Amino acid sequence: MDVLDNYKKAWENQPEEVSKFSSIEIYKMAHSKSSSIVKWIFIIGILEFVVLNSLYFFIDMDEAIKEYEKLGLENFIFYSQIAAYVILFYFLWMFYQNYKKISTIDSTKTLMKKIIKTRKTVRNYVLFNLGYMALVMLVFTIATINVNFDEYNAKQILLITVATLIATLLILGILWLFYQLLYGILLRKLKRNYKELAKLDNLN
Amino acid sequence: MQKDLEIKFLSDFEKNQNIAHKICRLYTTSRDAHNDLFQEITIQLWKNYPKFRGDSKFSTWMYRVALNTAISLYRKSTKRVKTQDISDVAFKIKSNDYDDTEERQLKALYEAIRKLNDIDKALIFLYLEDKPYKEISETLGITSVNARVKMNRAKEKLKNILNP
Repeated sequence: MDVLDNYKKAWENQPEEVSKFSSIEIYKMAHSKSSSIVKWIFIIGILEFVVLNSLYFFIDMDEAIKEYEKLGLENFIFYSQIAAYVILFYFLWMFYQNYKKISTIDSTKTLMKKIIKTRKTVRNYVLFNLGYMALVMLVFTIATINVNFDEYNAKQILLITVATLIATLLILGILWLFYQLLYGILLRKLKRNYKELAKLDNLN
Repeated sequence: MQKDLEIKFLSDFEKNQNIAHKICRLYTTSRDAHNDLFQEITIQLWKNYPKFRGDSKFSTWMYRVALNTAISLYRKSTKRVKTQDISDVAFKIKSNDYDDTEERQLKALYEAIRKLNDIDKALIFLYLEDKPYKEISETLGITSVNARVKMNRAKEKLKNILNP
């Protein structure tokens, strides 16, 4: 007889929970607000879309447009903004679709996969935004150098380039770290559990 | 319509709530956390209840939703440090003789399972609840073969904790 069989017998004979909940308590609980990971991912995801897009409100657009026109970048900004909004709505749609598909009736593995996919949609959006920001910075720097080429000497150009590069990397780095922290806390356990189930498939 | 569904849910769940309590006992270490997880399980069960067709037993369906909640949805509250005083009452075995072996075994078993990772906990729990491999593999979303492999390893780990 297996060692565990004895323990199993003890398990089967275990008494019922002493502090059981009444129907009324269960009713109240069923109608209370969920605080699950999925809900947090949804809330944080929506916040990220909102925050990233409301950054524009803090920029004096008239000033910015004048600056762009001076550098001859108005077309680049105009078209890239349209593209950015199309992409934003695509991501928002995907995010909502993924979120809707999450269901606790799925198997554990499918459920975890869907949660991770939902999060990845927002991650990709953040990556896209960081990339877009880097691109604008780059184009802006090149244009600035181009327009003022005659006024600057080689040393100044190098200085501007290096300074912009460092500033860009710093901003991107901080945003990335913040993002990792946000989801790291939320999803560490889930990812570990998912790996635990997924690594089995690789064995066979 | 909604009212009927609610009444049926409450009666189904109230009868089977012990399953959820056992899961809470395995996945949490304080009374507060136990109740937190129980509440989240209740929310998830009720949210999905309209989709429960009744072609399987309520309890079978409940195992899946409750385990999924414990493994994937529940966030361990960090503000609580107090560990659960494993109430001796909770482990009193209904037994005619005065032998407390089973009671001690049950206590040791809970303590040992709590040391396992979330997935192994689920496997051992389903084994102890006498679930067939088909159901275990469907609940976790892995093949039957993998479920067996994983179960054997989890049992080995558990034995090592119980009898080092």
